This record gives sequence, structure tokens and C-alpha cells, in this order.
Amino acid sequence: MGLGKNIGDFLDARLGIRDILEQNLTRYLLPRNINAWYTLGAVLLTLFAVQIGTGILLLVYYNPTTEEAFRSVQRIMNEVPFGWLIRSVHAVGANIIVFALLLHMLSVLFMGSYKSPREMTWLAGFFLLLLSLGMCLTGYLLPWSQLSFWATTVATKSSAEIPLVGDIVVRFLRGGAMVGQPTLGRFFALHVMGFPLLFGLLVLFHLFCVRRVGISRPPFGPDWRPAPPPTTFRHEEHPRGIPFFPHYVAKDAAIIAFFLALLLGVVFFAPALFFPPAAFEPADPFVTPPGIKPEWYFLWAYQTLKIFPSEFLGLAVQGIAVTLLLILPFLDRSPERRPASRPLFVTCFAAGVALFIALSIWGHYS
Amino acid sequence: MDTGSRRKFLVISLGALGALLTGIASYPLFRYLSPRQTGGEKGLVTITRAQVGVGQAHFFQFRGHPAVVLQRAPGVFVAFSAICTHLGCIIRWLPEKGEFLCPCHAGRYAGDGKVLGGPPPKPLQTIPIALSGVNLLIG
Repeated sequence: MGLGKNIGDFLDARLGIRDILEQNLTRYLLPRNINAWYTLGAVLLTLFAVQIGTGILLLVYYNPTTEEAFRSVQRIMNEVPFGWLIRSVHAVGANIIVFALLLHMLSVLFMGSYKSPREMTWLAGFFLLLLSLGMCLTGYLLPWSQLSFWATTVATKSSAEIPLVGDIVVRFLRGGAMVGQPTLGRFFALHVMGFPLLFGLLVLFHLFCVRRVGISRPPFGPDWRPAPPPTTFRHEEHPRGIPFFPHYVAKDAAIIAFFLALLLGVVFFAPALFFPPAAFEPADPFVTPPGIKPEWYFLWAYQTLKIFPSEFLGLAVQGIAVTLLLILPFLDRSPERRPASRPLFVTCFAAGVALFIALSIWGHYS
Repeated sequence: MDTGSRRKFLVISLGALGALLTGIASYPLFRYLSPRQTGGEKGLVTITRAQVGVGQAHFFQFRGHPAVVLQRAPGVFVAFSAICTHLGCIIRWLPEKGEFLCPCHAGRYAGDGKVLGGPPPKPLQTIPIALSGVNLLIG
């Protein structure tokens, strides 16, 4: 106790550490009616920390060459003590992260938290989602299994429908005419260094936006009124709110524990959930396995490409949908955030979620 | 129970739980990163006699470490760890001088492994060697 206090006094005298902690923990007040959906940011930070930790551990044994990649992953799974655990947590964790990211985005949409003055927070968050999907896509190739090889072949091939530059884009993504060592090399570099670096910077910017603008008050309760968009900067304060620590940290911890339990539950009780049989065969560029499908979070895109008469049309629709979502704060400028007062938006929201689920199920069974 | 002791109880309980979870997570991590036993760390190494000429040295891997076998005179073989006893650099054989030299700090060893000069504190570690027909069994 004495040593801890001495270290605290030492740091406080030099860096004013207690003041920083108080400002960001006990004196950082959140809206009284804040709900569990607001914990998803902390959940995602934790899950990404798990991904970084397990990713670094996998790098110890992984070998990014077409000759060795599959064998090195098999060695991790079958020979290295607890390698199966590290790799399973990493692979399943990616899926749980996408799930949490989608929930985070949906809750922000439903509560209208993307609206002015939080457009920058939304943009940063949306690019974080796209980067996460990029990390999922690049990571998918690394085991160099049949699944990896053909999923990447199909995913990169879909860019060929872009007018004029399609074939150049495909060659550029693959580093050659076909998926091979150049593809593995660039996907590996992007997955372990390029994307994580960008991702880290963007997370910092996202958190800066959240902290600088202030947490949005959930648009529920009888006294909530839409505020006009600010013309000058104003930090949103919640003077009679609850302290971040310990009140909200306890809630954060509970939901984080739930997601970690979900992650470990899949790892221990349904380890094959995200590993179809093609994931256990080494890549063979001459044999396409039957029924190759992308991961569940890309199934909507996969099915969209199939239902349109031309792939270009499918790609265009996907591009428009993603762009509309990206610039939504600049299109939807009304200050109203209460779902009950936004029937058109809530209808589109429900229809969008239903469409995503329906296309995914259709894609899975098609 | 007053607020102070309840808080203390909570802090101790959470600390104990955190320590337990850290311990549970640390074990797989430790095992994952621990050096793995390879089959070659216990067995004998076989080298044919023809690989080592008279007055010549042959370097090889012995139980995960560099080692050297030397034919000092016709039919007289000796084997040593090739790791200098000074700071762990790998020695090299100088056939014209009939001695080992450590290139890092100029440690010198005789053909029998004894220190001739320089900073090495002790002789090279010897490795048992036996003749078996045309082969040398080392280890």
C-alpha cells in the first residue's frame, strides 16, 4: 500500500496523473439514462486487443510462403502447445468483432448518434468498419487453405467488373494474374502491419472525437428534446450524470465479460463453426472445391452479385449502399433523434437489417 | 459491515479474481512460447569417417548446437562443442596452424580443446565419440 502510494505521489508530482485520472474517470460524467449499447466501443477495444495479442503470438510460428503457410498453421493447430487455442481465439475473434461492429453501428443508427455534431465520429467509425473487413479479408488468405485460396480468388475477381480499370485492379490486388505468392506477400503485409497501423490511428481519432464532442445522450425519456445543430464548438456535458468510474466501467466490464464468454464458448463448444471442410485442405490452384462461400458477413455482398443480371450492376448497388451509409450524417440533417419520431428512418432501418439477414441466409443456402 | 470494509472486501475479491484469471491465461501463453523439445536433442549423430580428413575439421549440428569433429592423426577423432567458452561465438579451425580460433576476441584452442591463449576461461566442451565401422557415432 505504501509503495503504491509512493509511486502515485511520484508520478502525480511530475505529470499530474491524479488530475488526469479524475478528469477521465470519476469526474467524467455520462448521461443518467445511458444504456448497455454504449458499452460496445469498450467491447470492441477489448476484442481488438485480444486480436493484436493473439496475432503477435501467431506470428511466432506462422510462415508467409505458399510452400510453408498451410503447414505452419497446421503445426500451430496440432503441435505447438495451446496453438489451437491461440489460433481459434484469433479466427473466431474476428467473427465476433464483425458482429460487435455491426451491433455498434446499428445502435448508433437507431439512436441517431451519428447526427450533427458527431459526423466526424461516424466517418471515423465507418472507416474502422471497412478497415476491419479489410483485415478479415486479408487474414482469410493467410492459412493458404483451399478455402482461403478460392475465397480470395473470387473476392479479388469481383473487382474485374469495374469499368475500364477492372482487370488492372484485379492484377494489382493479386500482385499477378492469379492468386499466388505475391498475393500472400501483400495480404500478409497489409494484415499484420499496414491495416493495423491505419486502424490504430483511426481508433485514436475516433476516441478523440467521442471524448472531445462528449457522449451523446440517448434519445429516450420524457424530457428529451432535439437540440438545434451547433454553429460553434460545444462539448456536451452531463452535469447531473453518473461517473464513468466506477458506475459505467462496471457495466462495460459486464458486457465485455459477456462477449469474451461468447468468444470462448464458440472456441470450446463449437470450434468448427467458422471452419468448413475446405479450411483443412492445402490450397490447390488446379482444383476448385464445390460450394465455396465467403464468411457470413460477406454473404450479403456475394448474393447481391448473384441476383443482378450483371456483376457490374451488383457491384454498383453495393457501392451505392455503402456510400449512402457513409455520408448518412450529411443527408439526414434533422436534429430529431427519437426513434418514435422518425418513422421513415426506422422503417428503412428495419428493412435494411431484414434485407441484410435475408440476403445472407439466401446466400448461405443458394 | 461499514462502507470502508465493504470496499476493501470488493477490492481484494476483484484482485484475487484478476490474479486467478491472469494465472489461467498465463499458463497456455507460457507453454505456447516455451522452446520445444526436438527429437534430435537426445540421440547420437552419425558422420562417416570419409567426411573428416586427417588434420581436417567437420562442423555439424549436435543436439541443437554447433559442434566440430576433428581427425587429429590417422584414426584419432575428437569432437567438441564449437561454442567458444568466452562469450559464445563459434570457433573456426585453422588447419595450417593446427588450432581453433575464435574470431570474436581471438581466443585460441589446441586440437585437444585446451586454451592456448586469449580470453577463454576454460577448454572447449568435449563430446564422446566412438568408431563404428566406417561411421563415427557422436554423443
